[in-house]
Amino acid sequence: MEGYILPPETLTNEAIASRLKNEVNEQIRQGLIKKRNLVYLELNGCSGNIISLLNGQNPDFEYTLNSMVNLRYSNSLMAAEGEQAIEQLMEVLDEDYILAVEGAVALKNDGLYNVIGRWKGEPFTGLQAAQMLGEKASHILAVGACATHGGVSAAKPNPSESVGLQTVLPDRNIIKLTGCPVNPDWFLGTLAHILLYGEPETDNLNRPLMFYSTLIHDRCPRRPFFDRGIFAEKLGDKTCLFKLGCRGPVTRVDCPTRQWNGHVNWPVGASTPCIGCASFGFPDAMEPFVSYDTTRIVQDE
Amino acid sequence: MNRKIIINPLTRISGFMEIDVTVENNRVVDAKTKGNLFRGFEQMMVGRKPFDAVYFTQRICGICSAAHSMASSIALEDALNITPMEQGRYLRDIIHCCEYLQNHIRHFYQYTVPDFVRMEQNTLLASDHEDFRLPKTVNDRIAKHYFDSLPISRSAHQMLAVLGGKAPHNHGVFIGGVTTQATAEKVVTLDSLLDDIIAFIDDKMIPDVYEIAHYYPEYFQIGGGYGNLLSYGAFDHYGELGTLYVDPLVYAMNTIEAFDESKIKEKIDYSWFQAPADTYNPDSLMPVPDQNKQKAYSWVKAPRYNGLPFEVGPLARLILSGNYQNRVSAMDRTIARALEAKKITAIMKTLLSQIIPDVDVQKKYEVPESGEGRGLVDTTRGALGHWLKIKDKKLSFYQIITPSTWDFSTKDDEGYRGVAEEALIGTPIQNPDKPAEIGRILRSFDPCMSCATHVYRPGKQVKTIKVF
Repeated sequence: MEGYILPPETLTNEAIASRLKNEVNEQIRQGLIKKRNLVYLELNGCSGNIISLLNGQNPDFEYTLNSMVNLRYSNSLMAAEGEQAIEQLMEVLDEDYILAVEGAVALKNDGLYNVIGRWKGEPFTGLQAAQMLGEKASHILAVGACATHGGVSAAKPNPSESVGLQTVLPDRNIIKLTGCPVNPDWFLGTLAHILLYGEPETDNLNRPLMFYSTLIHDRCPRRPFFDRGIFAEKLGDKTCLFKLGCRGPVTRVDCPTRQWNGHVNWPVGASTPCIGCASFGFPDAMEPFVSYDTTRIVQDE
Repeated sequence: MNRKIIINPLTRISGFMEIDVTVENNRVVDAKTKGNLFRGFEQMMVGRKPFDAVYFTQRICGICSAAHSMASSIALEDALNITPMEQGRYLRDIIHCCEYLQNHIRHFYQYTVPDFVRMEQNTLLASDHEDFRLPKTVNDRIAKHYFDSLPISRSAHQMLAVLGGKAPHNHGVFIGGVTTQATAEKVVTLDSLLDDIIAFIDDKMIPDVYEIAHYYPEYFQIGGGYGNLLSYGAFDHYGELGTLYVDPLVYAMNTIEAFDESKIKEKIDYSWFQAPADTYNPDSLMPVPDQNKQKAYSWVKAPRYNGLPFEVGPLARLILSGNYQNRVSAMDRTIARALEAKKITAIMKTLLSQIIPDVDVQKKYEVPESGEGRGLVDTTRGALGHWLKIKDKKLSFYQIITPSTWDFSTKDDEGYRGVAEEALIGTPIQNPDKPAEIGRILRSFDPCMSCATHVYRPGKQVKTIKVF
């Protein structure tokens, strides 16, 4: 390193970042900066989005919990159980909080198809929780296909009469993070934007443009095969999967570049068609997911 | 004095569950477990394209989605009369192993540890009971491992995605085994990630579970239940390798015998379902929801084998395969999960060593006009079965019995309670105002109500004190 003029050690990027981080942590500790409260409701769904959230990397779940938000309620993670857990949920109502909801709202039988706890001895339904918490939240995130539009929970014949969150909160602005599940970056990135700069810019369907602006097809690494008319005939083939029913041409999201699970792979990387899980029509309007005969005339029943 | 304890929600499980327990002289004398959500996947499957079942049924559960892709693929192979190539089975089973690891690590640290270890790092993890016994240094070490485990379970999902495209809800498992081809680079990536997981299991997870067991010894005496054990088989019947873990076996009344599918019946006497018969073979009837059914108290169905309730899961598999002494209790179940994680890594090492790169196991498959198939496979939580029928090239019938349906069933017409209900009976409750025991016992089963997909109905409650 001789001959180079190095900045004083306290001016390196690492030192600055570390100083800022310590400063923020110290201010949080002293109560000068308040971490925002986050309520994470799981409703009628598979809990796949919170599992996906645990898969987040940079930021990861640990960073989110320690440096971004006070997670006040999560059925999957909180230590408290029973009515004590529901009490913790109710306490937040008097404070400022961001609401994240995964899962659909089941309307059947006044919501009794999805009871998330007991409150004062009575069943507390997902429907009640969505309306009660949704009304007072500063920002609302619908996380995953079931929350954004009903998703698989509302697949025909929709036995639980499930609907997306917006249906029961018609007057609220809800940021819609489609996907089954949501990629942790889509959720944590949107959350970070809210914390740092307010709500992100969205498209006409309320999806953040920073993740949902471009068709999968437009950035697909197999696009050259499409352009040259070289198509896969079965799963596992390494060419364009369009004729097997790939929904990349109609699905707006950044899977080809962002990929999944720490950027290691994505469905097309596994030589399977995109099934359009980040499209609003998923699943019914995206079926069949797999077909070996897409030159056929599709007849809707 | 009779007291009723109701816990709802039981947190740190997958999905929603309510527990109703009656306590007499500080002992549990009656118990009911009830699932609190219903989506109706079996009805949703009717009329869909058969191949879509692989990706569709995964959406039953976000924590064990690969399990459903396994069962539906095997059921479709049965219906299409396809025998997958051994290389396809190896790769598919490696994907399945990744899910076991992700699930076991998360279940132990994120779901079980807060029951026994005082977590002070975050208010979310603050407990509502006082029964914490670990010395501070031990407590703090395991509490730190709660966070250390996160990148490890994450990397198990990362391995899954290397072959399966993404996790949860992978795209790789399919008819014939997998859609992807292994490459040398992928094998090395998997092996490298696996070594870090093995080190974590050896150095932290297994010592931690034994440390907890040491300070909570009475949990070896409670939470046992019937002690009947069942497995559909896991990582078994390879041509070249034989069985790497466990064959399809059952254990009851001190005897181990071969599993026989014809002895499985589902019962719905106490479940909110209606069908021409209350006891039926899983491939014969699809009961429909009926909330007005008298005497039913829950919408959990009750699978029985040879007329008896059977426990499924890691402890059942370890005992049936001769890898664990024959004891059944809440703590044995928890230890079994950690020991099985270790066992799974050894299976993965063997499977990885068998992989031949660049073998394409996929074909262009044809949906038959009609047919039927079953996919029975042991998954993370235990025995999972999918039964399907095809008519006019579409699914006309779908039946699913999940592991949590075995463990969290209702009672039946013979008077047998569900396995988890029975496990609670007789449990001493130290402090009925803050009953730590119930959640600990139930969580030892790793309940998954998302899979069990039930309905809640408020029944007539006995006038008692409610403790939450």
